[in-house]
Amino acid sequence: MNIQKLKTGIPAFDLISDGGLPAGRTTLLAGSSGSAKTLFGAQFLAMGILLYDQPGVFVTFEEQVDDIRKDLQSFGWEIEKWEAEGKWKFIDASAKEEDIITIGEFDLSAFRIRLELAINKINAQRVVIDSIGSIFTHFPEHNIIRREMSKVSMTLRRLKVTAIITTERSEEYGPISRYGVEEFLTDNVIILRNVLANERRRRTLEILKFRGSSHVKGENPFTIIPMKAIMIVPISAMTLNQKASSERLYSGLPKLDDMCGGGFFKNSIVLVSGATGTGKTLLVANFLNGVKQKQERALLLAFEESKEQLFRNAKTWGMDLAQLEAEGYLKVVCLYPEVSSLEDHLINIQELVVAFKPDRVAIDSISALTRNPSERGFQEFVVALSNFLKHEQVTSMFTATTHMLTGDASVPEGNIASITDAIILLRYVEMMGEMQRSIMVLKMRGSNHESSIRRLTINQTGMQIGEPFTGISGILSNNPKVTK
Amino acid sequence: MTNYWIQLFINRNSPTSVGAEENLNAILKKYFPGDYQLEIIDIQENPEKTEEAGILAIPTLIRKWPKPEVRLIGALTLQTRVLTGLGIVVQEDK
Repeated sequence: MNIQKLKTGIPAFDLISDGGLPAGRTTLLAGSSGSAKTLFGAQFLAMGILLYDQPGVFVTFEEQVDDIRKDLQSFGWEIEKWEAEGKWKFIDASAKEEDIITIGEFDLSAFRIRLELAINKINAQRVVIDSIGSIFTHFPEHNIIRREMSKVSMTLRRLKVTAIITTERSEEYGPISRYGVEEFLTDNVIILRNVLANERRRRTLEILKFRGSSHVKGENPFTIIPMKAIMIVPISAMTLNQKASSERLYSGLPKLDDMCGGGFFKNSIVLVSGATGTGKTLLVANFLNGVKQKQERALLLAFEESKEQLFRNAKTWGMDLAQLEAEGYLKVVCLYPEVSSLEDHLINIQELVVAFKPDRVAIDSISALTRNPSERGFQEFVVALSNFLKHEQVTSMFTATTHMLTGDASVPEGNIASITDAIILLRYVEMMGEMQRSIMVLKMRGSNHESSIRRLTINQTGMQIGEPFTGISGILSNNPKVTK
Repeated sequence: MTNYWIQLFINRNSPTSVGAEENLNAILKKYFPGDYQLEIIDIQENPEKTEEAGILAIPTLIRKWPKPEVRLIGALTLQTRVLTGLGIVVQEDK
């Protein structure tokens, strides 16, 4: 049995839900307060109108209709216009000022009749009821409400509308809903979370179950952007369709190409790891400058330096990046890592890549985006970003800063090392009272590569890869010894 | 000229609604003879009015007059509570 899905039109949700919400069914959307339940519901209706010409009914038990109209304006949705055109209809069931006193048995048949009337009037295919918890606060008789809401869900089923009913949760990782509504709304459950982790808000969406239908499991981070509303970051859904290329790409330095067995692979992710001053940014500049050979396009996302600073430095190394930019081969975007969340950065990067269509992308540095590399969100970010870049068939270079000046065999941000296809180590070597630089290719997936550690010098002509440190061992363990 | 204007939204298919109508009639006749105007509205026949008044539950009683508006929901089974809800203080043994 596979249930038909209705495309929501919410970016990436249709991907992780394998086609959208179960069509003609009701999905329970559970979340703590402030987890964007109302927005998700409203977006479901707005996208229906904008993309699929499907009218929708919005039932509010909580917020006042006027407030909802106003709040949704910031996403560019003209609710009032849609109401006038018969595409959007509110049922205002929000709490009003006057007291409600209940004396004896009652039912919610009036609500069901109003709902059916509204659905039929605009021929609605989508319905949102926000939120079921508020009905329970309106009426203290919870047994009656549970019975009546199960009748409401039967009405929705009979009318064959695709519906979302929102419900409150008191804990992020506790029971599905505060009022036990999952007893009758049990087939399809989505959970929205808004967790505070490492002093950062992290929003996620999890499809807990879709009965008789496939979907991606686990939590998917999302963010809320003006004019776009909820943007989900699909982590696992994108890993499916990447091609490993055997084609090579010029690394920017002929010697480095040799060390890698003939250049970087196209669509691969190269991680450059080194302490401050070891030449990471210079290696990036070479990588960008490498587009000249075949007239490719490169995008640099700089999190540490300004464009002017970078261009000036590149000039002293003999590379005219300003000229490349003027000719349209290079685009440099400087971003402050602290300004937005990782999800926002990811979406920002995705938009830049889609718009500029680069062959190469450099991120200098990826470690600027995290203060705590063990953070789970950071790992997810790197996975999603790598998947996206590979999907777009971009060759990428990420730099990562290590903290120890010399030695340090480990690659920082250990979590991202396994995701990358190639790792280049830049290390200081303290030898005979002198600090020298070194370069080595630690890993090159799918290819032979040189295993020696070579001397690296940086001067007016840029980066010079020299001879291997022969007869010396213990460089990476910070204990170099002449073994001759 | 009557002092009380009362609307009762009911669903004729539901037994609780029929009970509410009977209970309300008995109360009004006993405590406000000739002093009230009662409007019975069936939601099946008047969905627009139901929408306009924002009715969710059935039966719902609305005291439209005197102001402020008061809403009572349910079968109106407890006379004293209905009277309190309508704002009437009843002396016992009357």
